Amino acid sequence: MVTLFKMFDQISLFIVNLTLTFSFHLTSIFVINMKVTYCTDVDRSVVLSNFEKRGWVHVGPDDDWNFYWAGIQTCRSLFSIDSGYRMHDNQMINHFPNHYELSRKDMLVKNIKRYRRELEREGSPLAKRLDGKYLYLDFIPVTFVLPADYNLFVEEYRKVGPSTWIMKPVGKSQGTGIFLINKLSKLKKWSREGKNFNTSAIKESYVISKYIDNPLLIDGKKFDLRLYVLVTSFRPLKAYLFKSGFCRFCTVKYNTSVGEIENLLIHLTNVSLQKQGDEYNSIHGGKLSIQNLRLFLESTRGKTVTEALFDNIVWLIVHSLKSVSYIMSNDRHCFECYGYDIIIDDNLKPWLIEVNASPSLTSTTVNDRILKYKLIDNMLSVVLPPSGIPDVRWNKCPSREAMGNFELLIDEELAAKDKSGPSIKIDQKERLKRKT
Amino acid sequence: MEELKDKSLHLTAEKLAEELQKMDNYTTFYEDLQVLAASYDVSIDDFKNTLVQAVNKGSMETNLRNAVFHWLRSHENNKQMVVREEITSRESLDYLRKAQITWERRIQKSLESMCEEIGIHLSYYRSKADRDEMLQKWNELSTYNTNLERLRPVYAPKDFLEVLFSLHNPNYRMISDDMIWDFTYLPLKVKTLSELRHLYRDLATADLLLGLTTLTKMSCGSTLQGEQERIALGEKVLEYQHAPVCQEFLKLCAPRSLRGRLWTQILGSNVKSSEQHYTELKERVLNYDMLIDKLITKDVQLTACNDDQYFVFEDVLHQIMLCFTRDTDVLSVFNSSTSHPILTSLKGKPSKEAIYPPNGIIPFHGFTMYAAPICYLFNDPVSLYSTFRAFYLRYWFRLHNISSHPQSILGLCILFQRLLQRHETNIWSHFMSHNIHPIRVVFKWLMKGFSGYLLPEQLLNLWDMIIAYDSLEVLPLLAVAILSFRKDNLLQVNTLQNVDSVLVDLSSLNVMSLLQLALKGPNQI
Repeated sequence: MVTLFKMFDQISLFIVNLTLTFSFHLTSIFVINMKVTYCTDVDRSVVLSNFEKRGWVHVGPDDDWNFYWAGIQTCRSLFSIDSGYRMHDNQMINHFPNHYELSRKDMLVKNIKRYRRELEREGSPLAKRLDGKYLYLDFIPVTFVLPADYNLFVEEYRKVGPSTWIMKPVGKSQGTGIFLINKLSKLKKWSREGKNFNTSAIKESYVISKYIDNPLLIDGKKFDLRLYVLVTSFRPLKAYLFKSGFCRFCTVKYNTSVGEIENLLIHLTNVSLQKQGDEYNSIHGGKLSIQNLRLFLESTRGKTVTEALFDNIVWLIVHSLKSVSYIMSNDRHCFECYGYDIIIDDNLKPWLIEVNASPSLTSTTVNDRILKYKLIDNMLSVVLPPSGIPDVRWNKCPSREAMGNFELLIDEELAAKDKSGPSIKIDQKERLKRKT
Repeated sequence: MEELKDKSLHLTAEKLAEELQKMDNYTTFYEDLQVLAASYDVSIDDFKNTLVQAVNKGSMETNLRNAVFHWLRSHENNKQMVVREEITSRESLDYLRKAQITWERRIQKSLESMCEEIGIHLSYYRSKADRDEMLQKWNELSTYNTNLERLRPVYAPKDFLEVLFSLHNPNYRMISDDMIWDFTYLPLKVKTLSELRHLYRDLATADLLLGLTTLTKMSCGSTLQGEQERIALGEKVLEYQHAPVCQEFLKLCAPRSLRGRLWTQILGSNVKSSEQHYTELKERVLNYDMLIDKLITKDVQLTACNDDQYFVFEDVLHQIMLCFTRDTDVLSVFNSSTSHPILTSLKGKPSKEAIYPPNGIIPFHGFTMYAAPICYLFNDPVSLYSTFRAFYLRYWFRLHNISSHPQSILGLCILFQRLLQRHETNIWSHFMSHNIHPIRVVFKWLMKGFSGYLLPEQLLNLWDMIIAYDSLEVLPLLAVAILSFRKDNLLQVNTLQNVDSVLVDLSSLNVMSLLQLALKGPNQI
């Protein structure tokens, strides 16, 4: 028996030697006997400890890696034509090359607007309008890109009358550079001061969105949802939703009075911002689990409306993904986890605020750490074939066990195969809409 | 014979009428009746019959029936009081009564010394400025500034446990002094497992139970058919507004969307006048500044504010807990328990004795957790407050005083020990051989009704069972079930500290299935 094992040992040693000496396409054949190698340029313990748990070996970016957990910049340069890097079948990376179609605030709006127009042209019932508003696809606040759409914005502003709008620089995150305005004169003043308006030499463009001024409050405080959505393919669209999302609460009571318009602790839920407030509590970090939110809503508002709300959330995620599915370069080596920011208004209607392509993986609390560790762990088991080794030839259909805390949002391939498959959710949804 | 029966019926009716007049909703009921009597439905020619008919037709009969139900419920629980005289009904065991009195003295001393140390009085008028500030911040009391640095909770569950441990039955002589003294030697009768099985037979035999599935799925897909049927039935039950029917319905757990209404109905906390009552309490909070307020605020800060399940409700908790201290209706618990409220002399020209605080309850560390889970059920502070108060008046007050009542903390501790000893002998002897006192492991769960230890949804399921079966005995039952569930891990550790760490995270537990397991199992839990 022992000798038999020794023999196996020698064989595998031999294979390893082979793989080291032979060229690429051979590697993929014998890779089963190899340890997975990973490479990363983000130093996040939740990520690294997951790799270590799987017994993966760390290598440099120039070595032969199987799995690259990269920052957006690294990923972009890797995919750029200059780099000339071509990935082989056993390699995988955690971003799509043009994720910005979804994650940049201005691109997202542009893509969704275009998607709606296309559906309308096709005569799709989804693009039905009532009083000018889309019935089913009205899930982002009215938004314009500045300076390009300045005139359109002014027209809209005059139409709706006194209202509050929120300005966000398109390329920044974590709440930097955001401010609220409620007078046109303020915007003009800001543009003069910046001296970068209506000129060609703009450094940065902004999006201006109608501010959701009736957010759902719990005990008087505003919050937003952070949900994690994993996409393993855009054509056919395959997306998963992580069940353990959370609400991020403001530390200060919500107040719409004009005097408080500059107090961002009231209006913005970004943890990086709330952390600076005096009232920030580092034990819970202002984060409430989505299960508890649901418990509260079902108990206080009823089952039907709560279910409609969560259905609508699923709906908006699916359609935001569909809006970019034909634009995204659907590289089979790629997968991506998006952080969806959603605000619920007091009529229990969800609004898509933005999508992050590299949601924060820093942990502010113990629970946060557990959650994010689990997120990465589940994510890896969804994107990897059962063998545990990256392989683009795999059909990307994880088993129920492998999905862990993820649930299937949509799989167009499966749905096409089996008409009564996961597309049910959307059919149901339409039925529901028809009823109301 | 017939005559006697008539007479007793008459007497009961008289007694009931008298009792009903004392109830909160009597005034609104009486007003409704007056309105009804003046309406066209009632004719003056046949006044009696038409009035009875009109009462039967509308919701008044249901209200009346519910009122009688609530009265019966609250008196059944305190049976001794009806039978015996007021004084002796409180506590029949002399040494328990004495222990309670000593304990109350200790609390009072500790309060007084705290006042001295910090240099404030027990209570005084709020200054105009302070009053205005508080009024302005009424909805965000977490930002109301008071200096709480030097304040400590008056006592914590473990202090109270020491008091219970020191109870000594004078009729029992220990064989040797170094024996572990525990509650086994207190002569209180508690239920056996088979008696519990009988009490919880609906739960034990139920095939379809809500609460077995949890809220983990994001998109709903299709709700289980059984669950839908339960919801439809529940809606119907609520429509009729009969409290006893609601209670029957709740025995198999409440659908989330109906829980708040079911609880209100069963606890009788849906009194129309509660809005006004709450405003009065608020007024009282604004008028006086008390040491107890600081203790309450500190407790909310130490517990709910730091709890990732409840922090969102910190402001409303501040509000209702402060109002609770001013609520003199709470004093009614002292009619049916061993304890007495603390009396302090008021500084005034003729110095008077007054109950302190007005509701007579000195909060311990974690008191807020009695209210925190209820925040998930109501959006409006008034209904939240009424339900919390009703819950407290019916159940929670028993968990922090010494009494021989089978529902008191002492009875629950003994029940826990007996169950563990008889049905989980392995764990029991393992604990004994390592000198770990089993009650130390679970006492905080029992004393806080598991609040803060289970996930809110699970906790609400547990509290459903408390209300539905009108008994706290489900708490020790669950405690034993949890130990039993974690048995393999428990048997591997040898110190109290390690036992605690095995049991520190209960978030993965499903209460209903654990209870069913405990009740259904053959002889073993």
